[in-house]
Amino acid sequence: TLRLIYTTTAAWKKNVAASGPEKYTEAFIKKQIEEFNLGKRHLANMMGEDPETFTQEDIDRAIAYLFPSGLFDKRARPMMKHPTEIFPEQRKIQWGEDGRPFHFLFYTGKQSYYSLMHDTYEKLLNVQKHQDQLAAQDLPPQKEKKNLVGSRWLTKTELEEMLLEKLSDDDYSRFIQLLQKLVMMPCGNIEENYIKKFSREISAQLQKVVIEPLKYDEQGVAFSTGEGARKTSRATVTVYDNGTGKITVNGIDVLHYFPVLQDREQLLFPFQFLDRVGKHDMVCTVSGGGRSSQAGAIRLASAKALRSFVTEKEVESMRQAGLLTVDPRVKERKKPGQEGARRKFTWKKR
Amino acid sequence: MAAPSAAGLGRRLRAWLPRLTQVRWTRYNPSFLEPEVNKELYRKPWDELSEEEKEKQELRALQPIKAAPPSVSCSVFSDPMISKFTNMMMKNGNKVLARSLMAQTLEAIKRKQLEKYHKAPEDEKEKIECNPYVIFHQALKNCQPIIGLSNITKGGKTYQVPVPLKDNRKRFLAMKWLITECRENKHRRMLMPEKLSQELLLAFNNEGPIIKKKHVLHKMAEANRAYAHFRWW
Repeated sequence: TLRLIYTTTAAWKKNVAASGPEKYTEAFIKKQIEEFNLGKRHLANMMGEDPETFTQEDIDRAIAYLFPSGLFDKRARPMMKHPTEIFPEQRKIQWGEDGRPFHFLFYTGKQSYYSLMHDTYEKLLNVQKHQDQLAAQDLPPQKEKKNLVGSRWLTKTELEEMLLEKLSDDDYSRFIQLLQKLVMMPCGNIEENYIKKFSREISAQLQKVVIEPLKYDEQGVAFSTGEGARKTSRATVTVYDNGTGKITVNGIDVLHYFPVLQDREQLLFPFQFLDRVGKHDMVCTVSGGGRSSQAGAIRLASAKALRSFVTEKEVESMRQAGLLTVDPRVKERKKPGQEGARRKFTWKKR
Repeated sequence: MAAPSAAGLGRRLRAWLPRLTQVRWTRYNPSFLEPEVNKELYRKPWDELSEEEKEKQELRALQPIKAAPPSVSCSVFSDPMISKFTNMMMKNGNKVLARSLMAQTLEAIKRKQLEKYHKAPEDEKEKIECNPYVIFHQALKNCQPIIGLSNITKGGKTYQVPVPLKDNRKRFLAMKWLITECRENKHRRMLMPEKLSQELLLAFNNEGPIIKKKHVLHKMAEANRAYAHFRWW
């Protein structure tokens, strides 16, 4: 038998990094939820409101009032949320008392991912068997294809949340390829329920935007306003009806303000697209940025203003031509240790 | 000439090299689609579209779309090839100068062709092409090489292997050769538009130094035919 003779203090210290992320027991989470509910009622009492109908938004407002904080990062400010939002979901312990794991794929390391792949492949084989049966009975295969247009597959983060396991990009793309293969097969509709778990609906884009009605000024001429931005420029534009195509920028005629042809082309782009070149007058104010970004800002503002004059289909076609999206490209910051945003200092061998 | 790879291989390679993080990124979400500026496509009534186009339109109705860049417009005068060529001619971001040079080049081509037109006898007048845009496109098409060479190292030695080129690469090479030719082989006092118009007219008639360069490249590829089996893609 071996007897422990000499130990160092290093052996007594707990290796924090090796124990992995903090594990919460179920009892702990339950206690936290109870404390949260109790605290919610106390808070409602303090604020003089009804404890029964105290929603999360009321909690946020109350906390912001009682503990005002000037910190810039919202995540650093005091917050009171339900414990399921604060403590991340974790897996329960995967092995029994004898140390033997429950799942047969535990030793692969990514047990839920591989079991998912196995399940999906099983469905694929089912579909193939069904196809073979139909072919053996000489019946034509069912061709009702599910419309893929309104749906998208789960993103990698969503899949990670579902499986409670980290995935690599390669794993994720393999899984999506398998799903695509399953859907593309003629008799894929049998497994529709299974596939629905992994797809999300995309709602149409236009529903969020409200188009303002036309306004009328003193002489009865219809006009509408729009605001646009590009890089650092900000532009406001009023488009008048029954015009001759005259454009005024900051009180100056467009030919004098934008001597470059490219900028004037950009200003005319929305009107040309809708075939309304000589029909509208435009008065704009623009500030900030350079010549190209000011032109881009005015283009966006005029496209937004023209939405009120035009049918919904034309608005949709303007959106698909890229006239109504705000250009998010801005100047990239300079990084330390480099000369510019991307350019590095000259490399000198010695 | 870079070695292209199949889509799956590329994706595997990207995930495989862990230290190379993505440096080229966009401010847009990857789900954003490219804008379609041609207004004729939006004027077509629903019934005339083929099935593919209908599906594509339905997809586009649901996805967000990127903003149109400032170099693109729906007017008849904006041509994607001409904009690409202007951008390649541009130095230090001076787009104004590049555009004016391009405009002067097209004007010079038109003038030369009109001179020829007025001097020519009646029966040959129809054959002379006066539209500078048509001349530009045809000249570029004539300059595009069909096959290129790529350096492949096998057994310590580097061989020049003939390789089919993609459309983008062909267009890029044609434009690059045109611009380098005009910048280097000209008289010191000659201006760029004049030299460019000369080269374009020569290329339009399948003559000139750029066409010669293309033929030299084709001959080299033909000479190295033996190594063609070194290519694995």
